[in-house]
Amino acid sequence: MSLNSVGYWFREAGRSLWRNSWMAVASVSTVTISLFVLAVFVVVSANVNHVTTLLQNQVEMRVFVKPHTTHTAELALLKQVEAWPDVRKVDFFTKAQAAKNLRQEFPHEQDLFRVIAKSNPLFDGYDVYASNPNDIPALARRFDHSPIVNNVVYQGTVVRRLTRLGTILRWTGWIVEGLLAVATLLIIVNTIRLAVFARRREIQVMRLVGATDWFIRWPFILEGLTIGLLGAVVADAAVSAGYHWVVARATVSLPFWPMAGFNSVFSQTSVFTIAGGLIMGALASVIALRRFLKV
Amino acid sequence: MIRVEGVTKRYPNGHHGLVKVSLTVHRGEFVFLVGPSGAGKSTLIRMLYGEDRPSEGEVMIDQFRLRRMTMRQLPRLRRQLGIVFQDVKLLPTRTVFQNVAFAMEVVGASRKEITKRVPQVLELVGLARRRDHYPSQLSGGEQQRVGIARALVNQPTYVLADEPTGNLDPETASEIMKLFQEINRRGATVLMATHARDLVNQMKKRVIAIEGGQVVRDEVRGAYGYES
Repeated sequence: MSLNSVGYWFREAGRSLWRNSWMAVASVSTVTISLFVLAVFVVVSANVNHVTTLLQNQVEMRVFVKPHTTHTAELALLKQVEAWPDVRKVDFFTKAQAAKNLRQEFPHEQDLFRVIAKSNPLFDGYDVYASNPNDIPALARRFDHSPIVNNVVYQGTVVRRLTRLGTILRWTGWIVEGLLAVATLLIIVNTIRLAVFARRREIQVMRLVGATDWFIRWPFILEGLTIGLLGAVVADAAVSAGYHWVVARATVSLPFWPMAGFNSVFSQTSVFTIAGGLIMGALASVIALRRFLKV
Repeated sequence: MIRVEGVTKRYPNGHHGLVKVSLTVHRGEFVFLVGPSGAGKSTLIRMLYGEDRPSEGEVMIDQFRLRRMTMRQLPRLRRQLGIVFQDVKLLPTRTVFQNVAFAMEVVGASRKEITKRVPQVLELVGLARRRDHYPSQLSGGEQQRVGIARALVNQPTYVLADEPTGNLDPETASEIMKLFQEINRRGATVLMATHARDLVNQMKKRVIAIEGGQVVRDEVRGAYGYES
């Protein structure tokens, strides 16, 4: 295919979009809405995944010791636990150390630490790492039998619930997105059909003088791709502005909640929306063109 | 060379468009296809440019065998053909120049080739001064000249014309016919379906008469031969 033809395709696609500009605006809007919803799902599941990974990398199990237990008793349990074959590693901490760690993690919450400094409400305890994460519930039960143990917290349940939430979100996302994609496709298909109809005389002449089918198809495919791409860009702009705002708010009012980074999320959503827009646009053109090409 | 061998065309409704038609047209010939309306002239022309396929028999144009030709091969055949219609099929939103240039654009010609070739063809059909007019500003005869210019611009080996003078008054029709004669003189093979009895009789070219889907007469220097 010569460069002349490529120039011709772009000119024709532009001319057609311009001539049917209202239909083009309608198509771009539906693509935008559909991709916006897709992007929101991507953002939410990116955040859920982010939290899940964070928790998985954190301490697997924390065992708190009852208040007023003697240090000797605590060290005896430590020795005992170190010998258990299903424990990879165990660290003992005092409540003073716990307070210090907290202060490092949340340096901005000075009010809280003034309270803690007066009378430390935290517990002594152990950070326990299992050789096999599946053993964690059994390990936790064994700790519960010990008389000095107050309670055991492990994130197995939390991680498992978050993972399940992530899966549910992904499936809901795909279903909602699938329905929206069908509606969007239909609207783009109609736009392209109108464009084909508006240019049926040109197409007839093109066929008679020996233009190839692909030569006739390209302007319409470019038209569909342009609609998809424009929709994706608008959706991206909206989602990135929105997420930027949410992240800014969250650092102020929800400091405990770890938001996924703006750049990492946005790189994911833009890939999804742009790919989605281009695929929908191309698919719609191909569907719209199938019928007239059988002539 | 165009060879039509035992071609029959049956339509799904049982109607026969053509029945065992055989004919040969050599390069450089000028051939009239005559006969009453509905005799099968148009069906035969449509078959030559691949718009209709034979139910039986074979149509060959140079190396192309049309019966089993795929849609992908069709454009290559059509680039060898220039097709002229009774209703011209011009694009109303484009000027004379753009209408002719369009035929070159869509087969991938460069700007340079187009700006060189289109004025030549417009000169040949006598419309050089009308290049920036729109079809609606032209007379019927002028519109048909644009149609002929568009058919010629890609330098076809064969020119197929389906009643090109059907909508024109006798005087204009005669001029259009002279133009086809000139085209033929310059080397193109011309095959024309027509009702223009007087013109056919004047020109003393080969005449193939079709009736009821069958070839009934094929004369080298023939006449129209129907009283109407």
